[in-house]
Amino acid sequence: MRYVGKPLPRLEDYHLLYQARYLDDIELPGMLYAGFVRSPYAHARVKRVDASEALAMPGVVAAFTPQSGKPFDFAPGGKVRYQGEAVAMVVAVDRYTLYDALEKVYVDYEPLPAVVDPLKAMEPGAPLVDESLGTNVSRREKYASGDAERALSSSDRVVEETLTINRVVPSPMEPHGVLAAYDGRTLLVYDSTQKPHIVRREIAKSLDVPLTAVRVVQPDVGGGFGSKIQVYPEEVRVAAAAMALRRPVKWVATRSEDFKMTTYGRGLILRYKAGFTKDGVLKAIKGEVVADAGAYDWFGFDLASTAATMLPAAYKVRDLDIDAVSVLTNKPPLGPYRGAGRPEATLFIERIMDLIADETGLDPVEVRRRNLVEAGPYDNPLGLHYDSGEYLATFNRGIEATGYYDLIRTAEAEKTSGRILGVGMSFYVEITTYGHEVAIVRAERDGSFTVAVGIAPHGQGDATGIAQLVADELQVPIERVRVIWGDTDVVPDGMGTDGSRSLTAGGSAAVLAARRLLAELKRAAEELLGGPAEYSDGVFRSGDRAISIGEVVEAIYRGKVKAQPEAVEVYRAKPTFPYGVGVVMVELDPETGLVKPLLYRSYDDIGVVVNPLLVEGQIHGGALQGISQVLYEEVVYDQDGNLATPNFAFYHIPKAVEAPRYEPKLAETPHRSDHPTGTKGVGEAPTVAAAAAAIKAVEDAIRRATGRRVRLTSTPIRPEEIYKLIRGGS
Amino acid sequence: MRIRVKVNGVLYERDVEPRKLLVHFLRDDLGIKSVRIGCDTGNCGACTVLLNGRPVKSCNLLAVQADGAEIITADYSDELMERLKRAFHERHALQCGFCTSGMLLASYALLKRNPKPTEEEIREGISGVLCRCTGYQNIIEAVKSVAL
Repeated sequence: MRYVGKPLPRLEDYHLLYQARYLDDIELPGMLYAGFVRSPYAHARVKRVDASEALAMPGVVAAFTPQSGKPFDFAPGGKVRYQGEAVAMVVAVDRYTLYDALEKVYVDYEPLPAVVDPLKAMEPGAPLVDESLGTNVSRREKYASGDAERALSSSDRVVEETLTINRVVPSPMEPHGVLAAYDGRTLLVYDSTQKPHIVRREIAKSLDVPLTAVRVVQPDVGGGFGSKIQVYPEEVRVAAAAMALRRPVKWVATRSEDFKMTTYGRGLILRYKAGFTKDGVLKAIKGEVVADAGAYDWFGFDLASTAATMLPAAYKVRDLDIDAVSVLTNKPPLGPYRGAGRPEATLFIERIMDLIADETGLDPVEVRRRNLVEAGPYDNPLGLHYDSGEYLATFNRGIEATGYYDLIRTAEAEKTSGRILGVGMSFYVEITTYGHEVAIVRAERDGSFTVAVGIAPHGQGDATGIAQLVADELQVPIERVRVIWGDTDVVPDGMGTDGSRSLTAGGSAAVLAARRLLAELKRAAEELLGGPAEYSDGVFRSGDRAISIGEVVEAIYRGKVKAQPEAVEVYRAKPTFPYGVGVVMVELDPETGLVKPLLYRSYDDIGVVVNPLLVEGQIHGGALQGISQVLYEEVVYDQDGNLATPNFAFYHIPKAVEAPRYEPKLAETPHRSDHPTGTKGVGEAPTVAAAAAAIKAVEDAIRRATGRRVRLTSTPIRPEEIYKLIRGGS
Repeated sequence: MRIRVKVNGVLYERDVEPRKLLVHFLRDDLGIKSVRIGCDTGNCGACTVLLNGRPVKSCNLLAVQADGAEIITADYSDELMERLKRAFHERHALQCGFCTSGMLLASYALLKRNPKPTEEEIREGISGVLCRCTGYQNIIEAVKSVAL
C-alpha cells in the first residue's frame, strides 16, 4: 500500500481551480434559453394557458403549455399542486428576452384550498392533493417486531411525545440546470445531476428513444446534497424542447426558481410512545414516522421507511411497532438530503435516550451504555443487518476521545464568569451503500491506466480516492492513473453519487476491474516472457527476464499477444454501517436567544480510511449541515402554502463567522466492511451525528442559563423560542 | 451604452444594454466564466470580483457602473493568487469548487489590505461568500497559511 491511507490533496483541484466548467458555463453555437412559468398558487386548477403574446415577442422561439401534452406534461390532472409548479415553458434567444417573455404568458387559475401541515392533511375532510387517491396518505407500511404494546404496558415508565424535523432546502451553491442538443439522431444532454445514467434512462423512456440515442454528460457540478438525485420534469422538458426545435436549449434555475422546483429535505415527524425501566433500559417504541411528502410522493415514503427501520440504531430494544407514512401536501416534493432518513432516525432515537436520562436522572452517557448492543454483526429487529462494529467499546472510546466530560466541565466553569455554553452528544449508526456500480479499467500503451466509473462525484473527491486504490492495486505511480466519470459514453451504467456509497461501491468495482486486468496482463506477460512471471511495481519478471507493464500493453495493442487491454466490473454493493459519536458545543447569548456553534468533535468508525484529508473535509461540511438544520435553516409556508422563505435572502445558509471549529477523530482500529475497499462511507455520517448532538447542546445551554429542565422536540430552534424559554415562558 | 473596462489586465470596449448586470457582462459578453452565479439576491458571493481592488458582488452592479474600472477575477495570475490557489489545493479548501472563485477573491482582497489577519478577521473577510461543502475551516486554514 503506497497511497491508501495517505492525506493526498485532490487530483480534481487542478481542473477546478483553473478550468472548471459548470452547466451554465457551457455554451453551444445557436443555443437557446428556456424558462418556466410557475404557479403563484399552492393548489389550483389550470383553466387556460395563453402564450400567444409571448410568442409574438421578438426573439421568442417557442412555448410549450399543458396543450403540448406529453412528454412536456404540464399541470398533470389539470392542476398545480404546489407554489412554483411549472405550467408552461418559453424558449428564447437570450436570457433577458426570456425573462421578459415569461411575464407575457397568461394563465387562468381557479385557486383551490391548500393543505400545508402533513398531520392536518391526514385528517378526514382535508383538501386532497390527488383526488384519485381519495386520501392524502400516499403510502403506509408497518415495521414491527416483538410485542410493543405488551412491552409498553410492562414498562416502569411510558412517555408520549411528538418530535418534528423541519423541511430544509438542500441548497448546493450551483442551482439546477440542463443543456440539451439534438442532431437529428442523438441527444447530447449536459446536466447538473448526481446520476447521469439515471437521467439517461428517464429521458430515453420519456422521449421513447433507445438508450443509444441519449448521451448524458455531467459537467462540473456545484454540489448536490441529494437535491440532484431526482430526475425532474424540467430535465425531460428541456431535452424534449431541444429535440422538437433541433437547437441547443439551456435552462438554468435562478436561486429563487431553484427554491420553487428543487426537492426539499428532512420534513419528518415521529409521533411515539416509549417505555423504559427505572434503570433506563428502553423496552419499546410504538409510533409512526410521518413524511411531509409534498405534492408528489417521489421519495417521501422511502425517507419515512429509512427513518423507521433505522430508529432502533444499535440499541437493544426489540419490541417495536413503527409505521412509516408518507402524506401528500401542497408543497414541493420531498427528496433525499444528506443522510436521507438517517439524521432523522438518529435525532429521534437520541432525543428518546436523552428523555430517558431526564426521566431517570441518569447521565445520558450511562443511559446509552445500558442500552447499546455490545458488538456487531447485529440483526436489527426491523430487518437490517449491521455488518461490523464494536458499538459499546467505540462509544466509550468516543466519549473519551472527544473529551465530552472536559467540555461539560468547561461549560460549568465558564458559567461562573457569565458565559453560557451547552454541550450535546449523540451516538449514531447509519446505513450506507446500495445497488450496483460499474467500472472499466483500460490499459494505455505506455502503461498508464484510465479508470471510467459510473459513480458521479461532484466535490467529494472520489476520483482521487479511486486513483489511490487503483494505483496501489496495479502498483504504479498515481500519476499514471486517471479517473474519469460523468459521461454515459465512457461507462455503460452506474447509479451515480449518493448514499455515501461512491468510494465503497465505485471504488470496489474499480479495484476488482484493476485486479482482473492485471491478471490478464500477467497472462500476456508470461506468454511474452515464455514462463511463469511475478509482478511488482510495474514490472513482470520471469527468471532473469523482465518486461514492463507498458511493454506488455504495447504488445497487446500491436497484436503481438492476444489479451484484453480493458476490464469491466459490475459490482453489487450491499449496505454497510458506519457508526460513532458526535459532540457539539454551543454558546448561548441569554440576552437575545441567539446560539452560536463553537465546536464539533467526533469519533467515527467508517471502516478503512483511503484518504484522511478527504474524510476530514466531509466531516467538516457534513457537521455544519447537521448543526445548521438545528440552528439556522427553516422553510416557512403560510397557511395557503405560500413559501415565505423563497431564496437566500430569507433562508439562512451559515457564513464563515457562524461556523464552528471541527476536531474530528477516527477510530484507531476501524472495522472493515466486507467490500474490497473495506470502506463504509463518511459523506453523511457527520450530518447524522451532528444534528442530534446540536439539539441536545442547545437544550443543555438553556438549562445552564435557567437552571430549569427544558425539553426541545422540534427543529430548527428559533432564537425567539429560546428567549421565551429563558424568560420562563412556555 | 459604450463602456470601457480593464479585466485581468486586458482592456475591453463594448456596447451594453443599460440594464445588463456586471456579472452577465463578464460571463456572457466577455466569456469570463469563473465569475459564477449562485443566487439572485446578493447573498451567496459566488460572483465576487475585485473592482478597483475592492471585493464586490458583480450581480449587484450594472455593467455600466463598471465603466472605467479595473476588474480582477479568479483567472488573474500573480504571486498572491497562485499562492492562494496552491494553499486551497493543499489544505483541501474546495470541494465542489463553485464558491471557490469568490472565496479566492475575498481572500485575495483581505490579504492585500491586511497581510496578517487573525482567524476572526479571516472569518469576517470571507463571510460575504457562502460555501455549502467545506464548513469553512479548511478555507480559513488555507488563507492563514498564505498569510504566514
